[in-house]
Amino acid sequence: MKTLNRSLWIVIALGLCGGAVAFGQVPDAPLVDFPYSGNRTAVWVVAQLHILFAAFILGAPIFAVVAEWLGYKNNDPKYDRLAKEVIKVTVILYSMTALTGGLFIFVLLGTYPDFSTWLIKHFFLVFAVIYPLLFILETIILYTYFYSWDSMKGAKKGRHIALGILLNIVGTVTLFVIDGPTSFMNTPAKAAGDLSLVEFIQTATLWDKMANFSWMPLNLHRLVGNVTFGGFIAGLIAAYMFMGSKTDEERAYYDWMGFVGNMIGVGALLLLPFMGYLLAYELCDYDASICPYMMADQLSMFFEMQGAMVGLIFLASNYYIWLSLKRIQGVEQVRISGFVAVVVLLMPAIMGFTWKMFPPPEWQSLIVLVILVVLPMILGKVPGLKNFTVSAFTMIKVGFLMIVVADAIWMTPHGFVPTQGLATEELELPSWASELALMPAKNAAAFTLVFLTVVNYLLYNRAIKRGTIVWGKIDFASQFVLIFLAFSAIWTMGLMGAVRSLTRKYYHVYNLVPDFTPEAFTPTLAYSAWWITGVTIVFYAVVSFAILVTLKAGSPKSATSLASSVPIEAK
Amino acid sequence: MANQSFAKSVMKKTALGVIIGVLLVVGAKYTHFPPVFQIMFFLYAILGALVFILLDAPPMKRLEGVKAVGALVVFYLLLSGLYIAGASILPQFDPEDEKGKIEKVLKLRRAQSEKGKAEELIARAKELDERAKAISKQLSSLGADAKVEVAVTTSAGGSGAAPGDLVALGKEQWELQECYNCHKLYGQGGKKRGPVMDNIGNLMTVEQLKEKIIDPKSWKAEGFDKDYDKGKMPDKYKDLMFPQEIDALVAFLASLKDESVDTPKPIKMN
Repeated sequence: MKTLNRSLWIVIALGLCGGAVAFGQVPDAPLVDFPYSGNRTAVWVVAQLHILFAAFILGAPIFAVVAEWLGYKNNDPKYDRLAKEVIKVTVILYSMTALTGGLFIFVLLGTYPDFSTWLIKHFFLVFAVIYPLLFILETIILYTYFYSWDSMKGAKKGRHIALGILLNIVGTVTLFVIDGPTSFMNTPAKAAGDLSLVEFIQTATLWDKMANFSWMPLNLHRLVGNVTFGGFIAGLIAAYMFMGSKTDEERAYYDWMGFVGNMIGVGALLLLPFMGYLLAYELCDYDASICPYMMADQLSMFFEMQGAMVGLIFLASNYYIWLSLKRIQGVEQVRISGFVAVVVLLMPAIMGFTWKMFPPPEWQSLIVLVILVVLPMILGKVPGLKNFTVSAFTMIKVGFLMIVVADAIWMTPHGFVPTQGLATEELELPSWASELALMPAKNAAAFTLVFLTVVNYLLYNRAIKRGTIVWGKIDFASQFVLIFLAFSAIWTMGLMGAVRSLTRKYYHVYNLVPDFTPEAFTPTLAYSAWWITGVTIVFYAVVSFAILVTLKAGSPKSATSLASSVPIEAK
Repeated sequence: MANQSFAKSVMKKTALGVIIGVLLVVGAKYTHFPPVFQIMFFLYAILGALVFILLDAPPMKRLEGVKAVGALVVFYLLLSGLYIAGASILPQFDPEDEKGKIEKVLKLRRAQSEKGKAEELIARAKELDERAKAISKQLSSLGADAKVEVAVTTSAGGSGAAPGDLVALGKEQWELQECYNCHKLYGQGGKKRGPVMDNIGNLMTVEQLKEKIIDPKSWKAEGFDKDYDKGKMPDKYKDLMFPQEIDALVAFLASLKDESVDTPKPIKMN
């Protein structure tokens, strides 16, 4: 009997062994395993590079067409030159966008074949028809826009600007379309009725999947982010060219270009905190557990780093205004109502309290905000009070003090712990000060930063109307500020892109498609910082090369004269 | 002359920054801020001093050619180093903690997936293959009457907790599903996003707890009207958790009967 049992075991085992061998003989490709970085980081790096190039080729045309329109409207050739130079760089980087896009698809398919196929099947119409068509259309319009620049002058300029607007419309639609699958991975459509999420997604329409919770907030966030990015990269181009300029005319032109790039970059930057807030709000509305995961748990230190980066960007952009102001002759006479300084000093406290009492979307907080903004203007016109003024430099110094204070509030975490599970009293805010770490305080800090930057630009505007500006004579340090802004903006994009992806936790599609690979964990902030820096440097190297090839190598001999010390109003 | 004036300004502002920093530290210590926050406040004061030093810095000399390129490279290296160092100095989450957790959360799902099934089949086939080889080897070397030791393997369990200990398994689910991010328990976690849970076992039956997890809109905690209206408790656990996981979590919650902790009263909604 024992022998029979053993024999049966052997037969069963050999049978299964044969089955396994037969299974093993099914032809299959070897698994892709990226050395050193691992598969997940490889996808991350390529995707991030692609997004940076894509952000530039979507943001730069917005910047360019606005500049071209300003040149046309004011009959000012320097705006036209600025627009054309930015588009020249865009055309070069367009091919890099396509290249990294293709690379991204190959790497994704090679490393995550099952998930990639799953996603492509769910968005087949988007990936196979709509997106390629839009990309081809955008390519045709971009090249037509660039190569028709010189032929569509004079009476045809309006049509050329219309072509630029069309380019931006197609670009924006392309962005919105590809944001569909991207945002779907974060917030897949919610199941209706008694269906489970898996059952619902199997039967959901393409529109159900596209129009998910975070789609529109992501669209808006990326759109505004791209304009910021385009502005800062224009500033970077200007800085490089300024540093390499041999004549005063060239320096004058690139000084001016840097100023315009920075102004557009900062103008869009002012909206970014609110767009980011909207995106986070929708993510939390989709699943409230995402919020503590981001702000208080494993991603909390990523947000701490974001606070530091945003603070540095605001400090730098205002420092650039300061340096710009210093070269304006007659700026000493520019004054502003002292009530603006008072409001600036009180703003974090008042708005923090107001937002605590009336959190968004309650309207009362907006009323208080409007009163705070308008009050200095009203008081500044009241007889007896209107003489209470401060100089532009004093106001900006008060502003810098409050930028540091607002940065400090933004950066103060609830606890210096990487996860809520490790929180102890020794690492957390005392209970009486816990409000410092909550959203009302962060909102107040964000609004203070935005308000101060607007005030500084108003002062600058007042200064150039009353004084005399000498283009090209700006402090050389300002060029490093422009470079710093572009570098930091790119770094922050990389950081927050990582955060958005990591909110999916160990899912390819949040709560729907688990990631069973061994790399489905949250990387450390330090590890992420290394890769983000690496990606930023690679991107910078390519952009720098593109600038040198397109602009420096073929720089025009006749530059637009800007160097004379004539009042700005005369220009 | 300008350089001397700037040097004086640097010294003056640095001294002022240090004084303000020390005052902030003393104030923070007095108001019970932990040392890490005291250091942070000091650094803010130094940052402020640096900003004001920069505001009055003399204009930078123009750099050209190789000097400009060199300065740019150094600047990029400084920035890169600063950002990497800044990110590295902050507290780091240990991925090893999460890896174990992910393994536990996804184990049942992996087993259910087609890929999981295929992997399991291949693994079992390989295991049997090796056992068959071992048996053949033993039979040929020891003869037909030799005893063959066949290792008996048990199927993989759902967790590291002892089988049958439903409450322990439920406690593990509490951790795995990160309930602590919204609910305070044993004085830890929560931050007022959801009600304290220490005495929930005395306030809700097993069936009611299960109903709340599967359908968060079925019950509301007293004093949490806004959170209830906004649907703060995610309606996802019926999809994410297996029935046995929900049963374990419910068993754990039902065991929480600490009357000394004020736990909000549950209100039946529909």
